[in-house]
Amino acid sequence: MGWALGANNASNVIGPAVTSRMLRFGPAAFMASLFVLIGAMLQGRSGIDTLSSLTEMTLHQAVLVSVSAAITMTLMTIWRLPVSTSQAVVGAILGVGVLNRHVDTATLSKVVTCWVGTPIGGALMAMVLYRVLAALHNRFQPNLLESDSLVRIGLAAAGAYGAFALGANNVANVTAVFVRAGHLSVSAATLIGGLSIGLGILTFSKGVMETVGSRLVRLDPFSALVVLLATGFTIHFYTFIGVPISTSHAVIGAVLGIGLHKGIRTVSSRTLVSILSGWIFTPFVAGALVLALVKLLGES
Amino acid sequence: MFRIFFRKQHQVYSLVEKYLEALQKTQEYFSLAMEVCLADDRARSDFGFLTDETHRFESQADDVREEIKTLMYSKVLLPESREDIMRLLDGMDKIPRDMEIILNMIKTQKISIPDFLAQEIRDLIKASLEAVDLMRVQVQDLFRRKGRIKELVAVIDRKESQCDRIERSLVNAIFDSGLDGFLKLQLKELVIFLGDISDHVDVMSKQINIINLKRHV
Repeated sequence: MGWALGANNASNVIGPAVTSRMLRFGPAAFMASLFVLIGAMLQGRSGIDTLSSLTEMTLHQAVLVSVSAAITMTLMTIWRLPVSTSQAVVGAILGVGVLNRHVDTATLSKVVTCWVGTPIGGALMAMVLYRVLAALHNRFQPNLLESDSLVRIGLAAAGAYGAFALGANNVANVTAVFVRAGHLSVSAATLIGGLSIGLGILTFSKGVMETVGSRLVRLDPFSALVVLLATGFTIHFYTFIGVPISTSHAVIGAVLGIGLHKGIRTVSSRTLVSILSGWIFTPFVAGALVLALVKLLGES
Repeated sequence: MFRIFFRKQHQVYSLVEKYLEALQKTQEYFSLAMEVCLADDRARSDFGFLTDETHRFESQADDVREEIKTLMYSKVLLPESREDIMRLLDGMDKIPRDMEIILNMIKTQKISIPDFLAQEIRDLIKASLEAVDLMRVQVQDLFRRKGRIKELVAVIDRKESQCDRIERSLVNAIFDSGLDGFLKLQLKELVIFLGDISDHVDVMSKQINIINLKRHV
């Protein structure tokens, strides 16, 4: 799970720094892995606490949750539907909650509200950041090379910050269920989760990074920088709230925010509809899968 | 301290400066060659040498342009910045090329410029080269933090209009004269090529302004 999360999601935070050639892939991946681990270990607790409180579960059920979430992500990818790791994990946890007849509805409401709030938060953050940074940039009046340098440094710095926020926010998706099952301490969970996400970044993120990164940099470079920063801030904000969110949704929200600020359409209706459908399908498929696996393999 | 991290970017700037120097030298030798051409026949012996020197500096400018392109291919800047600089260099390159073409035309076709056209041709060359000087200032300002780019667009535009007027006047004068038909066509082509210099400068000036505006977010 952690490996897949790292391989797919690192592109959202560090991709543009690579495709802008500010950093080569190797150093970028190493930097991202390091900051993911630091973020997971320093601030990963709150997300783990939230997911752990959704329901009770045994170790057997925790393993089935992880497997179901991983299969869900694979299936949704094959069906070319957008998939959020957070939604797959929460959906699988809810499946176990239904089985155990115990779901903390208050926590669940908080999680769903944050999912809805992610693209909105990304959009608002991008609009505010664009105004502030544009005002500073234009006041400084950089020449061509200075402007280029500022943006490239910014992309690398935003990438590092985004990786930190990614680790802090998403480590819960990887190991929270094992904390709940009583087989991992929070510290061990953040370390193992952070390491597995980092490994995914180092070993398998290059292709996705160049695809996603180049798409973002096709926005003018300044806008790409604002999108990255807004994404990082959004992810980090929800880390403080204690809810793991989708980095892709945060990015899409930020791109939408840039478009709203400039009065141009940057995100297609199709993309927005696909996010909405993901909110419904992903948890449902993951929940159904875990129930099917329990039926197949038994409850212990 | 930042030079350590942005060594290649500083290299780009140094090479652009080197290109502008080569362009300036091309201008200078072109101007001298045209003056020799418009003067007495005794001075024509220098014409070959000055044409060769113009070609030498035009080639040098070409070499520097290729060096910048090679550096760009190592992806030293953001894609957008790379595209802007490449387009700028390709556009500017038309100017020294036009100068070389004009001198080769005079040399190979053995064009003799009649006295009644000489002064206006001098005026056309002077205005064109002044426009090129202003364009070089714009390019330098693009890489420094000076705000003259926009105001120079209007000045270059006026120079280009002046050159257009002189060009039209020259073409009229050529066809109103009693010169041989073939010579008229040769001279007309020469005047059009001379007029192209300021046209290219005007296009480049506006392009430089757009590149500068893109950096204002």
